[in-house]
Amino acid sequence: MTSRRGFLKAGGLALFGIGLGGVPAFIAEAAASVKKQELYKKKKVLVCIFQRGAMDGLMAVTPFTDEYLQAARPTLFMSAAKSSSSNPLIDLDGHFGLHPAMNAFEPLFRDKRLAIVHGIGSPNNTRSHFDAQDYMESGTPFNKGTSSGWLNRAVGLLGHDAATPFQGVSLTSAMPRSFYGDNPSVAISNLQDFTIQMRGNPAGANMAARSFEDLYDQTSSGLLKQTGKESFDAVKMLQKTDTKNYQPANNAVYPNTALGNSLKQIAQLIKMDVGMEVAFAESGGWDTHFNQGAATGIFARNVTDLSSSMVALWTDLGTYQDDVTVMTMTEFGRTVKQNGTGGTDHGRGSCNFILGNDVNGGLVHGNVQPLAVENLEDGRDLAVTTDFRSVFSEVADKHLKINNDHVLFPDWKGSKIGVMKST
Amino acid sequence: MKAKIKYLSVTLLIISYSLVFFSFLDEQQGVSAAYKFPYKKAGLTERQAAAHLLNRFTYGATPSQIDVVVKTGMEKWFAQQLDAAMPDDTLNQLLDKFDDLKLSNAQIANVFPKGGQVVRMAIKDGVINKDSVKNTDKKEYKDQIAAYMQQKGLKPEQELFRQFINQKILRATYTNNQLQEVLTDFWFNHFNVSITKNDCAVFIPNFERDAIRPNALGKFDALLLATAKSPAMLYYLDNFSSSGINTNTNQPALANMRMRFASQQMAGMGDTARKTQILNKLNQAKKAQGLNENYAREVMELHTLGVDGGYTQQDVTQGAKVLTGWTIYPMGEDGYGAAIKKLMDRAGADKLDQLGFVHEGDFLFVPNRHDNSEKTVLGKHFEAGGGYQEGVQLLEMLAHHPSTARFICQKIAVRFVNDHPPKSLIDKMVKTFLQKDGSIREVLLTMTAAPEFWTADALRDKTKSPFELAISSVRGLDAAISQPYQLFNWINKMGQKMYYYQAPTGFPDKGQYWINTGALLNRMNFGLALAANRIPGIKVDLAALNNHHEPESAAAALVTYSKLIMPERNLDQTIKRLTPLLAAPDLTKKIEDASSKTVPVVPLNQASQKMVFTDDAKKKGDKNSMQPDNTYVAMQSRPGNNSMLAQVVGVIIGSPEFQRR
Repeated sequence: MTSRRGFLKAGGLALFGIGLGGVPAFIAEAAASVKKQELYKKKKVLVCIFQRGAMDGLMAVTPFTDEYLQAARPTLFMSAAKSSSSNPLIDLDGHFGLHPAMNAFEPLFRDKRLAIVHGIGSPNNTRSHFDAQDYMESGTPFNKGTSSGWLNRAVGLLGHDAATPFQGVSLTSAMPRSFYGDNPSVAISNLQDFTIQMRGNPAGANMAARSFEDLYDQTSSGLLKQTGKESFDAVKMLQKTDTKNYQPANNAVYPNTALGNSLKQIAQLIKMDVGMEVAFAESGGWDTHFNQGAATGIFARNVTDLSSSMVALWTDLGTYQDDVTVMTMTEFGRTVKQNGTGGTDHGRGSCNFILGNDVNGGLVHGNVQPLAVENLEDGRDLAVTTDFRSVFSEVADKHLKINNDHVLFPDWKGSKIGVMKST
Repeated sequence: MKAKIKYLSVTLLIISYSLVFFSFLDEQQGVSAAYKFPYKKAGLTERQAAAHLLNRFTYGATPSQIDVVVKTGMEKWFAQQLDAAMPDDTLNQLLDKFDDLKLSNAQIANVFPKGGQVVRMAIKDGVINKDSVKNTDKKEYKDQIAAYMQQKGLKPEQELFRQFINQKILRATYTNNQLQEVLTDFWFNHFNVSITKNDCAVFIPNFERDAIRPNALGKFDALLLATAKSPAMLYYLDNFSSSGINTNTNQPALANMRMRFASQQMAGMGDTARKTQILNKLNQAKKAQGLNENYAREVMELHTLGVDGGYTQQDVTQGAKVLTGWTIYPMGEDGYGAAIKKLMDRAGADKLDQLGFVHEGDFLFVPNRHDNSEKTVLGKHFEAGGGYQEGVQLLEMLAHHPSTARFICQKIAVRFVNDHPPKSLIDKMVKTFLQKDGSIREVLLTMTAAPEFWTADALRDKTKSPFELAISSVRGLDAAISQPYQLFNWINKMGQKMYYYQAPTGFPDKGQYWINTGALLNRMNFGLALAANRIPGIKVDLAALNNHHEPESAAAALVTYSKLIMPERNLDQTIKRLTPLLAAPDLTKKIEDASSKTVPVVPLNQASQKMVFTDDAKKKGDKNSMQPDNTYVAMQSRPGNNSMLAQVVGVIIGSPEFQRR
């Protein structure tokens, strides 16, 4: 107890005024504790991106040899034939074509680091954004009352205590449903806000920070005392790096978008080695009922953002790539037929992307039947042939070494489809 | 006739659950003279007890409120709070301008169209071109839509939510009926619905206004029924769409009405393509129909019995069947229910009762969507053909169930005592709940009459939610609020996006949920920003708080203001810890210098700036809640001591002691 107090007394002023003048308390403690030495071992990181609004999987990754699709989408259908269009689909395997605006993905796919699962979705056939997102994030597609989110449960299943408050991080202003629950997780929209703030008054902020640190250290409430300590340790950790003037490595260029910004900050947290193991970010604008466009337009802009943000993260990570897997998800897909306003309506199956060195990449996984009416769900939508829980649990199992499926996804008993390498 | 049946069934239920019926007769407003709070046995002084009472049943004490409670008499003050009939003229005047909050749900449905609906209407009316939807970010497009909405008398949903949230903050801060407002928050969270679910979003203000607040201190069954029939809940947990098979052959007219209606519609048509289209639609609608168990499950798990309340999946399915046909009365021009409206028009308004429809406000029971087979829920048998009444019977049974009594009393005790209330206390409350027909006020009386409520374990053991922290700060500092939404932005940052909690569980009511790393730093930053008048539209006059007696030093300010803001607490440790820090003279000077160069008011962020409630509340005549602007100016013109004072007060608001209540 005395040594801890001594550290705070000695280190407090310097830490907040001039820069980092001491070792965060958790590191000092780690020296005396075998368990916490884990901190120095690099941890695997799972980064999840939720595409809110339901991505049109058939436009992102098009089964371009399907004549039914071509008929159902007179203005939205694109071809892979180089002659027919200046901007053809990127032919992945003779059957599926990647949207041209996602050309950033092509090298990663060819390099077998990027996998696609097509026909993925929920067994619950709701076409409500809210319900479908809720079910996907709680991980229980038929139960609304599940209080926790699947990523929060994943944090709880990592098998070791959180060394820092950053074990689960959501780059959002509010905590997403995926992270609801009792396991440590934190929502931060901007790393620079993670400090005691008094604009233009560093002396004031310094004094306030010292006062708070001291007060929280002496409080009789165990919860406030412990969290106070963690908070100030966290602030000090982030101060190690100049988060404001971050320079991505390997000439990676993040798009100046919400998603690009989130992934850039995720890269920073990974490189700072702050103990983050599960990260979450969001991307919006996928509810394309009107004029979604084809090679250009709303949808094309969205997939450009998605792919170039993910590729920027991947490039920036450099030597950290082995530790990181990135997975996208979206609540459902969209109708096979285009609607009367140049868009698509709420459907069922969509596709998702998984990027990482332990991914069984270079393949379009899943099962997409010819899009004849009799093969469609309710006669209109790409059928869900792969339960999202199958893919999410396989990624979590293989990448994070979580193999407690009945806790991660209660009620689910299914098989894995091999989206990850079997090592 | 209907009312009689309802009364009879309620009575039977009560008897069958061995409830004491004369509690109805016994019920009276006010509290008997013999009722005394047992705080002395716990070693509390009268003022400490009053502080505890205010910590538990208000959004924080205003300056000198302890004096008021002591003078009134604690028991009498609590009785006034339970009656929730204190005059609220000042508040009502402030709330009067929120026009949208006076609308009915049907009006709301017509004034606040859903996201894509406006665009579709505008295209249909030829106001905007289909192709221009591509460039939705363009100003020209946005202006077109805005002009169209104005012309049609339509408003964006965000305007409704802004008024709703502004109202909530003003109400919590200024109402004299604090307990009613605290309980409104408690019950809303218990029966949580969420703005994140678009279908129910616009009906949430009236859910709170009509279903929750008026029943917050009443009987639990009334509250449960009001929520069950509210459009917000019917949409949020999908019961509006739940339907079963109706085999009522005695009323073929009803069973086949829809089919007949469709065939009549088609009779005059030569165009077979159109006929096929209608038939397809009909079949699709039929297919979409079906049992939805969401509400039945959550009403048992979360609203009444609790997850360990002794029900099975079978009870859930059977209960869902009992509640089929419970839906929303058609509202809006082309919104949900247009088909039912046509159906009802066809049947004729005078025949609806006869056919078994029940229409109460926004609620509608549609008999031909009701599963009329026999059912059994929790051992209770429901005869075939029970119609609307069996749903009422089911909810009454759930409301009075012993598991419900325990679940609800446990939750109340967690909210008002501490995160782990003693079983002995819960037992007393459960007994009252069952004996007094689920009377919430009686349960609260039992709770406060119990020694467990006043023990050291309960004192200041609750962690304030971000909302409670924000409101207790502005109340404690007697702040003037002209832009309530700015507080909402901070409450979000501290981790409580009110009305947007997605899951039906509501926000967890425990300290661990609120206190995490990012949230805690934001609490500290909130204190600093508030005290330094850096939150736009929230004005604090620290000098006035101490009757313009200027403290002689920073250390003196600490002592004085700690006691003002956190009366009746032992603050020796806080003061001892902080005093040496404040004594460093060069530090003080640095702060003064820096803050004199600083622009005092900085918007939280640009995006939120747009959402700001712009109606500036410069109500100079209103002395109780608003301070004249010149005080503010005068204070700012003397940055010297005040920036140090603001710093001290900011630290007090962000201190661990102030996070507890």
